[in-house]
Amino acid sequence: MGFARARVTPFVCAVVVALVGFRPDVALAQASQQEIARGRYVFGATGGCGCHTAKGQPANAGGRRYDGPFGTVYSSNITPDRETGIGSWTDEQIVTATRLGRRSNGERLLPVHPYPVFNGMAAEDLKALVAFLRSVPPVKRANQPKRIAVPLFESVFLPAWLAAFAPRETPPPSAPTAGVPRGEYLVRAVAHCGECHTPRTLTMATDNSRFLAGNPKGPEDQAMPNITPDPDTGIGKWTVEQIADYLGTGNKPDGDVAGGLMGEVIDGTLAGYKDLTQGDRVAIAQYLKTLPPIRNKIAKEK
Amino acid sequence: MSRRTWVLTAAALVPVVAVGCASMGQMKPEEAIAARQQLMKDQGAAWKNIQDKTKAGDVAGLLPDAQKLVDTSKQIPKLFPEGSLNPEKSAAKPEIWAKWSDFEAAAKNLTAQSEKLRDTAQSGDKAATQAVVQTFGRQACGTCHTPFRVPPKQS
Ligand code: HEC
Ligand code: HEC
Repeated sequence: MGFARARVTPFVCAVVVALVGFRPDVALAQASQQEIARGRYVFGATGGCGCHTAKGQPANAGGRRYDGPFGTVYSSNITPDRETGIGSWTDEQIVTATRLGRRSNGERLLPVHPYPVFNGMAAEDLKALVAFLRSVPPVKRANQPKRIAVPLFESVFLPAWLAAFAPRETPPPSAPTAGVPRGEYLVRAVAHCGECHTPRTLTMATDNSRFLAGNPKGPEDQAMPNITPDPDTGIGKWTVEQIADYLGTGNKPDGDVAGGLMGEVIDGTLAGYKDLTQGDRVAIAQYLKTLPPIRNKIAKEK
Repeated sequence: MSRRTWVLTAAALVPVVAVGCASMGQMKPEEAIAARQQLMKDQGAAWKNIQDKTKAGDVAGLLPDAQKLVDTSKQIPKLFPEGSLNPEKSAAKPEIWAKWSDFEAAAKNLTAQSEKLRDTAQSGDKAATQAVVQTFGRQACGTCHTPFRVPPKQS
Protein backbone atom coordinates (compact mmCIF):
# COMPACT_ATOMS: atom_id res chain seq x y z
CA MET A 1 0.00 0.00 0.00
CA GLY A 2 1.42 3.38 -1.02
CA PHE A 3 1.21 6.47 1.11
CA ALA A 4 -1.49 8.06 -0.95
CA ARG A 5 -3.69 5.00 -0.72
CA ALA A 6 -3.54 4.76 3.01
CA ARG A 7 -6.68 4.88 4.98
CA VAL A 8 -5.55 6.69 8.01
CA THR A 9 -7.90 9.41 8.95
CA PRO A 10 -11.04 7.74 10.17
CA PHE A 11 -9.17 6.99 13.31
CA VAL A 12 -10.78 10.12 14.54
CA CYS A 13 -11.10 9.02 18.08
CA ALA A 14 -10.03 5.48 17.37
CA VAL A 15 -6.74 4.92 18.95
CA VAL A 16 -6.97 7.44 21.66
CA VAL A 17 -7.41 5.06 24.49
CA ALA A 18 -5.63 2.09 23.06
CA LEU A 19 -2.49 2.19 25.06
CA VAL A 20 -3.30 3.69 28.38
CA GLY A 21 -2.81 1.56 31.46
CA PHE A 22 -5.37 0.76 34.11
CA ARG A 23 -5.87 2.52 37.43
CA PRO A 24 -8.34 0.34 39.29
CA ASP A 25 -8.46 2.61 42.29
CA VAL A 26 -10.30 5.41 40.50
CA ALA A 27 -13.53 6.60 42.02
CA LEU A 28 -16.16 7.57 39.50
CA ALA A 29 -17.21 11.15 39.91
CA GLN A 30 -20.94 11.62 39.72
CA ALA A 31 -21.84 13.86 36.80
CA SER A 32 -25.09 15.76 36.59
CA GLN A 33 -27.68 14.90 33.94
CA GLN A 34 -27.10 18.35 32.50
CA GLU A 35 -23.39 17.70 32.09
CA ILE A 36 -24.08 14.33 30.45
CA ALA A 37 -26.53 15.93 28.02
CA ARG A 38 -23.95 18.53 27.14
CA GLY A 39 -21.38 15.77 26.65
CA ARG A 40 -23.74 13.92 24.31
CA TYR A 41 -24.01 17.12 22.27
CA VAL A 42 -20.21 17.42 22.02
CA PHE A 43 -20.00 13.73 21.13
CA GLY A 44 -22.51 14.32 18.33
CA ALA A 45 -20.55 17.34 17.14
CA THR A 46 -17.48 15.12 16.69
CA GLY A 47 -19.59 13.00 14.33
CA GLY A 48 -20.36 10.42 16.99
CA CYS A 49 -16.92 8.81 17.17
CA GLY A 50 -18.18 6.20 14.71
CA CYS A 51 -14.68 4.84 14.43
CA HIS A 52 -15.25 3.26 17.84
CA THR A 53 -18.29 1.38 16.70
CA ALA A 54 -17.99 -1.64 14.42
CA LYS A 55 -20.97 -2.29 12.17
CA GLY A 56 -23.76 -4.08 14.01
CA GLN A 57 -21.88 -3.95 17.32
CA PRO A 58 -22.69 -1.98 20.49
CA ALA A 59 -21.80 1.72 20.43
CA ASN A 60 -18.28 2.70 21.53
CA ALA A 61 -17.14 -0.90 22.04
CA GLY A 62 -14.42 -0.56 19.37
CA GLY A 63 -13.14 -3.23 17.01
CA ARG A 64 -13.44 -1.36 13.70
CA ARG A 65 -10.43 -2.07 11.51
CA TYR A 66 -8.15 0.58 9.99
CA ASP A 67 -5.24 0.05 7.65
CA GLY A 68 -2.49 2.60 7.27
CA PRO A 69 1.05 2.78 5.98
CA PHE A 70 2.22 2.03 9.50
CA GLY A 71 0.20 -1.16 9.86
CA THR A 72 -3.24 -2.28 10.97
CA VAL A 73 -5.08 -1.07 14.02
CA TYR A 74 -8.45 -1.84 15.54
CA SER A 75 -10.30 0.94 17.30
CA SER A 76 -10.56 0.46 21.02
CA ASN A 77 -13.29 -0.03 23.54
CA ILE A 78 -14.25 3.36 25.04
CA THR A 79 -17.23 2.14 27.01
CA PRO A 80 -16.95 2.42 30.80
CA ASP A 81 -16.21 -1.29 31.25
CA ARG A 82 -13.62 -1.45 34.02
CA GLU A 83 -11.68 -4.38 32.58
CA THR A 84 -11.71 -3.88 28.82
CA GLY A 85 -12.84 -0.25 28.45
CA ILE A 86 -12.07 3.06 30.11
CA GLY A 87 -14.05 2.48 33.31
CA SER A 88 -11.00 2.58 35.54
CA TRP A 89 -9.28 5.60 34.01
CA THR A 90 -9.26 8.99 35.66
CA ASP A 91 -10.90 11.93 33.88
CA GLU A 92 -7.45 13.43 33.55
CA GLN A 93 -6.12 10.33 31.77
CA ILE A 94 -8.98 10.34 29.26
CA VAL A 95 -8.60 14.05 28.57
CA THR A 96 -4.82 13.82 28.16
CA ALA A 97 -5.09 10.92 25.75
CA THR A 98 -7.81 12.68 23.77
CA ARG A 99 -6.17 16.08 23.33
CA LEU A 100 -2.45 15.36 23.68
CA GLY A 101 -2.19 11.75 22.54
CA ARG A 102 -0.18 10.88 25.63
CA ARG A 103 -0.36 7.83 27.85
CA SER A 104 -0.30 8.24 31.57
CA ASN A 105 3.34 7.07 31.55
CA GLY A 106 4.22 9.81 29.06
CA GLU A 107 4.41 7.62 25.96
CA ARG A 108 2.84 8.69 22.68
CA LEU A 109 -0.36 7.31 21.23
CA LEU A 110 -0.32 6.53 17.54
CA PRO A 111 -0.47 9.91 15.83
CA VAL A 112 -3.31 8.70 13.63
CA HIS A 113 -5.66 9.76 16.36
CA PRO A 114 -6.41 13.42 15.56
CA TYR A 115 -5.20 14.92 18.77
CA PRO A 116 -4.06 17.99 16.84
CA VAL A 117 -7.79 18.59 16.29
CA PHE A 118 -9.06 17.80 19.75
CA ASN A 119 -6.12 19.74 21.23
CA GLY A 120 -8.18 22.88 20.62
CA MET A 121 -11.29 21.58 22.36
CA ALA A 122 -12.40 23.69 25.34
CA ALA A 123 -11.94 22.35 28.87
CA GLU A 124 -15.66 22.57 29.60
CA ASP A 125 -16.49 20.51 26.48
CA LEU A 126 -13.85 17.89 27.31
CA LYS A 127 -15.21 17.56 30.82
CA ALA A 128 -18.75 17.07 29.55
CA LEU A 129 -17.56 14.59 26.91
CA VAL A 130 -15.90 12.46 29.57
CA ALA A 131 -19.07 12.54 31.70
CA PHE A 132 -21.05 11.35 28.69
CA LEU A 133 -18.62 8.54 27.83
CA ARG A 134 -18.99 7.29 31.39
CA SER A 135 -22.78 7.28 31.10
CA VAL A 136 -23.18 4.79 28.23
CA PRO A 137 -23.64 1.06 28.96
CA PRO A 138 -20.33 -0.73 29.59
CA VAL A 139 -19.49 -3.48 27.10
CA LYS A 140 -16.95 -6.19 27.79
CA ARG A 141 -14.89 -6.53 24.62
CA ALA A 142 -11.14 -6.94 24.77
CA ASN A 143 -9.15 -4.78 22.36
CA GLN A 144 -7.42 -6.53 19.48
CA PRO A 145 -3.68 -6.09 19.32
CA LYS A 146 -2.42 -3.80 16.58
CA ARG A 147 0.16 -4.72 14.00
CA ILE A 148 2.59 -1.90 13.45
CA ALA A 149 5.21 -1.76 10.74
CA VAL A 150 7.61 -0.18 13.18
CA PRO A 151 10.47 1.04 10.96
CA LEU A 152 8.25 3.26 8.80
CA PHE A 153 6.26 4.39 11.77
CA GLU A 154 9.24 5.53 13.80
CA SER A 155 11.43 6.88 11.04
CA VAL A 156 8.89 8.59 8.81
CA PHE A 157 5.47 9.15 10.22
CA LEU A 158 5.88 9.98 13.85
CA PRO A 159 8.55 12.70 13.35
CA ALA A 160 6.59 14.28 10.48
CA TRP A 161 3.36 14.32 12.40
CA LEU A 162 4.90 15.69 15.53
CA ALA A 163 6.67 18.41 13.56
CA ALA A 164 3.30 19.57 12.24
CA PHE A 165 1.81 19.67 15.72
CA ALA A 166 2.58 22.34 18.29
CA PRO A 167 0.32 21.34 21.16
CA ARG A 168 -1.27 23.65 23.64
CA GLU A 169 -0.57 22.12 27.02
CA THR A 170 -3.78 23.38 28.58
CA PRO A 171 -7.09 23.65 26.72
CA PRO A 172 -8.89 26.97 26.29
CA PRO A 173 -11.28 27.17 29.27
CA SER A 174 -14.42 27.86 27.25
CA ALA A 175 -15.61 27.72 23.64
CA PRO A 176 -16.86 30.64 21.51
CA THR A 177 -20.64 30.66 21.64
CA ALA A 178 -21.81 32.25 18.39
CA GLY A 179 -21.08 33.33 14.84
CA VAL A 180 -17.98 32.68 12.73
CA PRO A 181 -15.68 32.06 15.76
CA ARG A 182 -18.11 29.38 16.96
CA GLY A 183 -18.11 27.84 13.46
CA GLU A 184 -14.31 27.88 13.32
CA TYR A 185 -14.11 26.24 16.74
CA LEU A 186 -16.52 23.46 15.74
CA VAL A 187 -14.84 22.80 12.37
CA ARG A 188 -11.27 22.88 13.64
CA ALA A 189 -11.43 21.56 17.20
CA VAL A 190 -14.49 19.34 17.42
CA ALA A 191 -16.06 18.11 14.16
CA HIS A 192 -12.67 17.36 12.55
CA CYS A 193 -13.98 18.15 9.04
CA GLY A 194 -10.35 18.54 7.93
CA GLU A 195 -9.44 14.95 8.76
CA CYS A 196 -11.49 13.89 5.77
CA HIS A 197 -11.78 16.98 3.56
CA THR A 198 -8.16 18.24 3.69
CA PRO A 199 -5.61 16.71 1.30
CA ARG A 200 -2.55 15.04 2.81
CA THR A 201 1.16 15.34 2.24
CA LEU A 202 3.36 12.35 1.52
CA THR A 203 3.77 11.72 5.22
CA MET A 204 0.01 11.65 5.69
CA ALA A 205 -0.09 14.82 7.75
CA THR A 206 -2.92 17.14 6.66
CA ASP A 207 -1.77 19.78 4.17
CA ASN A 208 -3.18 22.79 6.00
CA SER A 209 -2.17 25.19 3.24
CA ARG A 210 -5.06 23.60 1.36
CA PHE A 211 -7.49 23.30 4.26
CA LEU A 212 -10.72 21.50 3.25
CA ALA A 213 -9.77 21.50 -0.47
CA GLY A 214 -10.73 17.82 -0.90
CA ASN A 215 -8.93 14.53 -1.33
CA PRO A 216 -9.48 12.19 -4.31
CA LYS A 217 -8.46 9.21 -2.22
CA GLY A 218 -9.31 9.95 1.37
CA PRO A 219 -10.19 7.68 4.26
CA GLU A 220 -11.39 4.21 3.24
CA ASP A 221 -10.37 5.16 -0.32
CA GLN A 222 -13.43 7.38 -0.73
CA ALA A 223 -13.33 10.66 -2.66
CA MET A 224 -13.65 13.59 -0.23
CA PRO A 225 -15.20 16.64 -1.89
CA ASN A 226 -13.63 20.10 -1.93
CA ILE A 227 -15.70 22.18 0.51
CA THR A 228 -13.89 25.51 0.14
CA PRO A 229 -16.01 28.30 -1.41
CA ASP A 230 -14.59 27.81 -4.92
CA PRO A 231 -17.64 28.14 -7.18
CA ASP A 232 -16.62 25.49 -9.74
CA THR A 233 -14.77 22.80 -7.81
CA GLY A 234 -15.96 23.54 -4.26
CA ILE A 235 -19.27 24.53 -2.70
CA GLY A 236 -19.16 28.24 -3.55
CA LYS A 237 -22.59 28.01 -5.15
CA TRP A 238 -24.25 26.63 -2.02
CA THR A 239 -25.94 29.19 0.24
CA VAL A 240 -25.27 29.29 3.99
CA GLU A 241 -28.74 27.86 4.51
CA GLN A 242 -28.10 24.98 2.08
CA ILE A 243 -24.85 24.02 3.82
CA ALA A 244 -26.49 24.17 7.26
CA ASP A 245 -29.39 22.08 5.95
CA TYR A 246 -27.04 19.48 4.52
CA LEU A 247 -25.28 18.99 7.87
CA GLY A 248 -28.63 18.35 9.55
CA THR A 249 -30.43 16.32 6.88
CA GLY A 250 -27.91 15.04 4.32
CA ASN A 251 -29.98 16.71 1.58
CA LYS A 252 -27.97 18.35 -1.20
CA PRO A 253 -29.37 21.33 -3.12
CA ASP A 254 -29.79 19.16 -6.26
CA GLY A 255 -31.99 16.49 -4.67
CA ASP A 256 -29.19 14.01 -4.00
CA VAL A 257 -28.59 12.68 -0.49
CA ALA A 258 -25.24 12.23 1.30
CA GLY A 259 -23.77 8.77 1.76
CA GLY A 260 -20.46 7.15 2.61
CA LEU A 261 -18.47 8.53 5.52
CA MET A 262 -20.39 11.83 5.40
CA GLY A 263 -23.61 9.89 5.88
CA GLU A 264 -21.96 8.25 8.89
CA VAL A 265 -20.94 11.47 10.63
CA ILE A 266 -24.27 13.18 9.92
CA ASP A 267 -26.17 10.23 11.40
CA GLY A 268 -23.54 9.56 14.03
CA THR A 269 -23.91 6.73 16.51
CA LEU A 270 -25.39 7.76 19.84
CA ALA A 271 -25.46 11.28 18.34
CA GLY A 272 -24.12 12.96 15.19
CA TYR A 273 -23.99 16.22 13.19
CA LYS A 274 -27.75 15.89 12.71
CA ASP A 275 -28.15 16.69 16.41
CA LEU A 276 -26.34 20.03 16.15
CA THR A 277 -28.55 23.04 16.76
CA GLN A 278 -29.57 25.09 13.73
CA GLY A 279 -27.44 27.91 15.21
CA ASP A 280 -24.32 25.76 15.26
CA ARG A 281 -24.90 24.44 11.74
CA VAL A 282 -25.32 27.98 10.45
CA ALA A 283 -22.14 29.02 12.31
CA ILE A 284 -20.21 26.22 10.58
CA ALA A 285 -21.61 27.27 7.19
CA GLN A 286 -20.72 30.92 7.84
CA TYR A 287 -17.19 29.95 8.77
CA LEU A 288 -16.78 27.82 5.62
CA LYS A 289 -17.77 30.88 3.58
CA THR A 290 -14.84 32.84 5.06
CA LEU A 291 -12.22 30.31 3.86
CA PRO A 292 -10.04 31.10 0.85
CA PRO A 293 -11.56 29.40 -2.22
CA ILE A 294 -9.19 26.75 -3.57
CA ARG A 295 -9.50 25.29 -7.04
CA ASN A 296 -9.19 21.53 -6.77
CA LYS A 297 -11.42 19.27 -8.78
CA ILE A 298 -12.11 15.98 -7.07
CA ALA A 299 -12.94 13.36 -9.64
CA LYS A 300 -12.81 9.65 -9.29
CA GLU A 301 -9.34 8.35 -10.10
CA LYS A 302 -9.20 6.66 -13.48
CA MET B 1 -34.70 -20.98 -24.31
CA SER B 2 -30.95 -20.69 -23.84
CA ARG B 3 -29.40 -18.12 -21.53
CA ARG B 4 -27.96 -16.33 -24.53
CA THR B 5 -31.32 -16.07 -26.24
CA TRP B 6 -32.76 -14.64 -23.07
CA VAL B 7 -30.08 -11.99 -22.97
CA LEU B 8 -30.64 -11.04 -26.59
CA THR B 9 -34.38 -10.92 -26.12
CA ALA B 10 -34.01 -8.75 -23.08
CA ALA B 11 -31.56 -6.47 -24.86
CA ALA B 12 -33.88 -6.06 -27.79
CA LEU B 13 -36.73 -5.06 -25.53
CA VAL B 14 -34.78 -2.48 -23.57
CA PRO B 15 -35.46 0.53 -25.77
CA VAL B 16 -39.14 -0.35 -25.82
CA VAL B 17 -39.97 -1.10 -22.24
CA ALA B 18 -36.91 0.31 -20.51
CA VAL B 19 -36.94 -0.43 -16.81
CA GLY B 20 -39.75 -2.97 -17.01
CA CYS B 21 -37.40 -5.21 -18.90
CA ALA B 22 -35.34 -5.67 -15.78
CA SER B 23 -38.00 -7.93 -14.38
CA MET B 24 -36.67 -10.60 -16.73
CA GLY B 25 -33.54 -10.50 -14.61
CA GLN B 26 -31.17 -10.63 -17.56
CA MET B 27 -30.27 -7.05 -18.21
CA LYS B 28 -26.77 -6.41 -19.54
CA PRO B 29 -24.53 -4.74 -16.96
CA GLU B 30 -24.09 -1.49 -18.92
CA GLU B 31 -27.83 -1.22 -19.46
CA ALA B 32 -28.52 -1.89 -15.82
CA ILE B 33 -26.04 0.81 -14.81
CA ALA B 34 -27.55 3.37 -17.18
CA ALA B 35 -31.09 2.47 -16.12
CA ARG B 36 -30.39 2.66 -12.39
CA GLN B 37 -28.53 5.95 -12.70
CA GLN B 38 -31.49 7.37 -14.61
CA LEU B 39 -33.87 6.01 -11.99
CA MET B 40 -31.79 7.59 -9.21
CA LYS B 41 -31.69 10.92 -11.07
CA ASP B 42 -35.48 10.78 -11.29
CA GLN B 43 -35.66 10.06 -7.57
CA GLY B 44 -33.36 13.00 -6.90
CA ALA B 45 -35.62 15.28 -8.96
CA ALA B 46 -38.72 13.97 -7.17
CA TRP B 47 -37.11 14.42 -3.76
CA LYS B 48 -36.06 17.99 -4.60
CA ASN B 49 -39.64 18.78 -5.68
CA ILE B 50 -40.98 17.31 -2.48
CA GLN B 51 -38.69 19.53 -0.40
CA ASP B 52 -39.56 22.63 -2.42
CA LYS B 53 -43.29 21.98 -2.16
CA THR B 54 -43.00 21.35 1.57
CA LYS B 55 -41.11 24.61 2.11
CA ALA B 56 -43.80 26.42 0.15
CA GLY B 57 -46.47 24.84 2.38
CA ASP B 58 -48.04 22.98 -0.56
CA VAL B 59 -48.54 19.56 0.98
CA ALA B 60 -50.96 18.28 -1.66
CA GLY B 61 -48.46 19.30 -4.33
CA LEU B 62 -45.96 16.69 -3.22
CA LEU B 63 -48.32 13.72 -3.67
CA PRO B 64 -47.37 12.82 -7.26
CA ASP B 65 -43.67 12.82 -6.41
CA ALA B 66 -44.20 10.76 -3.26
CA GLN B 67 -46.09 8.21 -5.37
CA LYS B 68 -43.24 8.29 -7.88
CA LEU B 69 -40.80 7.32 -5.10
CA VAL B 70 -43.09 4.47 -4.04
CA ASP B 71 -43.13 3.14 -7.61
CA THR B 72 -39.47 3.63 -8.48
CA SER B 73 -38.25 2.18 -5.16
CA LYS B 74 -39.70 -1.19 -6.19
CA GLN B 75 -37.52 -1.25 -9.32
CA ILE B 76 -34.23 -0.77 -7.47
CA PRO B 77 -33.11 -4.38 -6.73
CA LYS B 78 -33.70 -5.51 -10.33
CA LEU B 79 -31.37 -2.82 -11.62
CA PHE B 80 -28.43 -4.20 -9.66
CA PRO B 81 -27.91 -7.60 -11.32
CA GLU B 82 -24.94 -9.72 -10.36
CA GLY B 83 -21.95 -8.70 -12.51
CA SER B 84 -22.88 -5.01 -12.79
CA LEU B 85 -20.16 -3.82 -10.43
CA ASN B 86 -18.16 -1.26 -12.42
CA PRO B 87 -16.09 1.27 -10.44
CA GLU B 88 -15.32 3.23 -13.64
CA LYS B 89 -18.92 3.93 -14.55
CA SER B 90 -20.88 3.34 -11.41
CA ALA B 91 -20.88 4.44 -7.78
CA ALA B 92 -22.29 1.11 -6.60
CA LYS B 93 -20.11 -0.59 -3.97
CA PRO B 94 -19.25 -4.31 -3.95
CA GLU B 95 -21.02 -4.54 -0.58
CA ILE B 96 -24.32 -4.52 -2.48
CA TRP B 97 -23.74 -8.06 -3.70
CA ALA B 98 -21.87 -9.19 -0.58
CA LYS B 99 -24.83 -8.16 1.60
CA TRP B 100 -27.66 -8.54 -0.87
CA SER B 101 -30.43 -9.04 1.70
CA ASP B 102 -29.41 -5.80 3.48
CA PHE B 103 -29.49 -3.99 0.14
CA GLU B 104 -32.95 -5.35 -0.66
CA ALA B 105 -34.10 -4.32 2.81
CA ALA B 106 -32.82 -0.77 2.16
CA ALA B 107 -34.93 -0.61 -1.02
CA LYS B 108 -37.99 -1.98 0.83
CA ASN B 109 -37.39 0.63 3.52
CA LEU B 110 -37.56 3.35 0.86
CA THR B 111 -40.90 1.94 -0.32
CA ALA B 112 -42.28 1.95 3.22
CA GLN B 113 -40.98 5.45 4.00
CA SER B 114 -42.35 6.85 0.73
CA GLU B 115 -45.75 5.32 1.43
CA LYS B 116 -45.70 6.91 4.85
CA LEU B 117 -44.78 10.27 3.33
CA ARG B 118 -47.55 9.95 0.73
CA ASP B 119 -50.16 8.94 3.29
CA THR B 120 -49.19 11.68 5.72
CA ALA B 121 -49.37 14.28 2.96
CA GLN B 122 -52.73 12.87 1.89
CA SER B 123 -54.12 13.48 5.37
CA GLY B 124 -53.44 17.18 4.80
CA ASP B 125 -51.60 17.57 8.13
CA LYS B 126 -48.92 20.11 7.32
CA ALA B 127 -46.89 19.84 10.53
CA ALA B 128 -46.85 16.04 10.41
CA THR B 129 -45.79 16.11 6.75
CA GLN B 130 -43.00 18.55 7.49
CA ALA B 131 -41.78 16.29 10.27
CA VAL B 132 -41.59 13.30 7.89
CA VAL B 133 -39.84 15.36 5.22
CA GLN B 134 -37.30 16.62 7.77
CA THR B 135 -35.80 13.16 8.35
CA PHE B 136 -36.77 11.46 5.08
CA GLY B 137 -33.49 12.06 3.21
CA ARG B 138 -31.37 10.41 5.89
CA GLN B 139 -33.80 7.66 6.77
CA ALA B 140 -35.07 6.69 3.33
CA CYS B 141 -32.18 7.48 0.95
CA GLY B 142 -29.12 7.93 3.18
CA THR B 143 -29.56 4.54 4.84
CA CYS B 144 -28.71 3.01 1.46
CA HIS B 145 -26.19 5.58 0.18
CA THR B 146 -24.09 5.33 3.36
CA PRO B 147 -23.23 1.62 3.17
CA PHE B 148 -23.71 0.96 -0.54
CA ARG B 149 -22.54 3.92 -2.61
CA VAL B 150 -19.16 5.63 -3.03
CA PRO B 151 -19.22 9.44 -2.90
CA PRO B 152 -20.15 10.88 -6.28
CA LYS B 153 -17.78 12.92 -8.41
CA GLN B 154 -17.96 16.64 -7.92
CA SER B 155 -19.17 18.39 -11.03
C1 HEC C 1 -15.39 10.96 8.12
C2 HEC C 1 -15.12 11.79 6.99
C3 HEC C 1 -15.81 13.14 6.90
C4 HEC C 1 -15.91 14.12 7.87
C5 HEC C 1 -15.39 14.07 9.29
C6 HEC C 1 -16.62 15.22 7.26
N1 HEC C 1 -16.95 14.92 5.97
FE1 HEC C 1 -18.03 16.09 4.71
N2 HEC C 1 -18.02 14.63 3.30
C7 HEC C 1 -17.37 13.42 3.40
C8 HEC C 1 -17.69 12.61 2.24
C9 HEC C 1 -17.21 11.20 1.96
C10 HEC C 1 -18.55 13.38 1.43
C11 HEC C 1 -19.25 12.95 0.13
C12 HEC C 1 -20.58 12.36 0.57
C13 HEC C 1 -21.51 11.91 -0.53
O1 HEC C 1 -21.97 12.77 -1.30
O2 HEC C 1 -21.85 10.73 -0.61
C14 HEC C 1 -18.73 14.65 2.12
C15 HEC C 1 -19.51 15.70 1.65
C16 HEC C 1 -19.61 16.95 2.24
C17 HEC C 1 -20.32 18.07 1.65
C18 HEC C 1 -21.03 18.07 0.31
C19 HEC C 1 -20.06 18.46 -0.76
C20 HEC C 1 -20.55 18.20 -2.15
O3 HEC C 1 -19.98 18.82 -3.07
O4 HEC C 1 -21.45 17.38 -2.34
C21 HEC C 1 -20.21 19.11 2.55
C22 HEC C 1 -20.79 20.51 2.39
C23 HEC C 1 -19.45 18.62 3.68
N3 HEC C 1 -19.10 17.31 3.46
C24 HEC C 1 -19.11 19.40 4.78
C25 HEC C 1 -18.48 18.89 5.91
C26 HEC C 1 -18.27 19.64 7.12
C27 HEC C 1 -18.64 21.10 7.31
C28 HEC C 1 -17.69 18.80 8.02
C29 HEC C 1 -17.34 19.08 9.48
C30 HEC C 1 -18.42 19.67 10.25
C31 HEC C 1 -17.51 17.51 7.35
N4 HEC C 1 -18.01 17.60 6.08
C32 HEC C 1 -16.91 16.40 7.94
C33 HEC C 1 -16.57 13.01 4.48
C34 HEC C 1 -16.47 13.66 5.70
C1 HEC D 1 -31.47 0.65 -1.96
C2 HEC D 1 -30.40 1.59 -2.15
C3 HEC D 1 -30.72 3.04 -2.53
C4 HEC D 1 -31.77 3.82 -2.10
C5 HEC D 1 -32.90 3.47 -1.15
C6 HEC D 1 -31.58 5.10 -2.74
N1 HEC D 1 -30.45 5.09 -3.51
FE1 HEC D 1 -29.77 6.62 -4.67
N2 HEC D 1 -28.21 5.47 -5.30
C7 HEC D 1 -27.95 4.19 -4.89
C8 HEC D 1 -26.77 3.68 -5.55
C9 HEC D 1 -26.14 2.31 -5.34
C10 HEC D 1 -26.33 4.70 -6.42
C11 HEC D 1 -25.16 4.64 -7.41
C12 HEC D 1 -25.67 4.00 -8.70
C13 HEC D 1 -24.61 3.80 -9.76
O1 HEC D 1 -23.81 4.74 -10.00
O2 HEC D 1 -24.58 2.70 -10.37
C14 HEC D 1 -27.26 5.82 -6.24
C15 HEC D 1 -27.17 7.04 -6.92
C16 HEC D 1 -28.00 8.13 -6.69
C17 HEC D 1 -27.89 9.39 -7.39
C18 HEC D 1 -26.85 9.75 -8.45
C19 HEC D 1 -27.35 9.29 -9.80
C20 HEC D 1 -26.39 9.62 -10.93
O3 HEC D 1 -25.67 8.70 -11.38
O4 HEC D 1 -26.32 10.79 -11.31
C21 HEC D 1 -28.90 10.19 -6.92
C22 HEC D 1 -29.22 11.61 -7.34
C23 HEC D 1 -29.65 9.41 -5.95
N3 HEC D 1 -29.08 8.16 -5.83
C24 HEC D 1 -30.75 9.87 -5.24
C25 HEC D 1 -31.50 9.11 -4.36
C26 HEC D 1 -32.63 9.61 -3.62
C27 HEC D 1 -33.17 11.04 -3.67
C28 HEC D 1 -33.10 8.56 -2.87
C29 HEC D 1 -34.29 8.56 -1.91
C30 HEC D 1 -35.52 9.07 -2.43
C31 HEC D 1 -32.26 7.42 -3.14
N4 HEC D 1 -31.30 7.79 -4.04
C32 HEC D 1 -32.43 6.18 -2.57
C33 HEC D 1 -28.68 3.44 -3.98
C34 HEC D 1 -29.88 3.85 -3.39
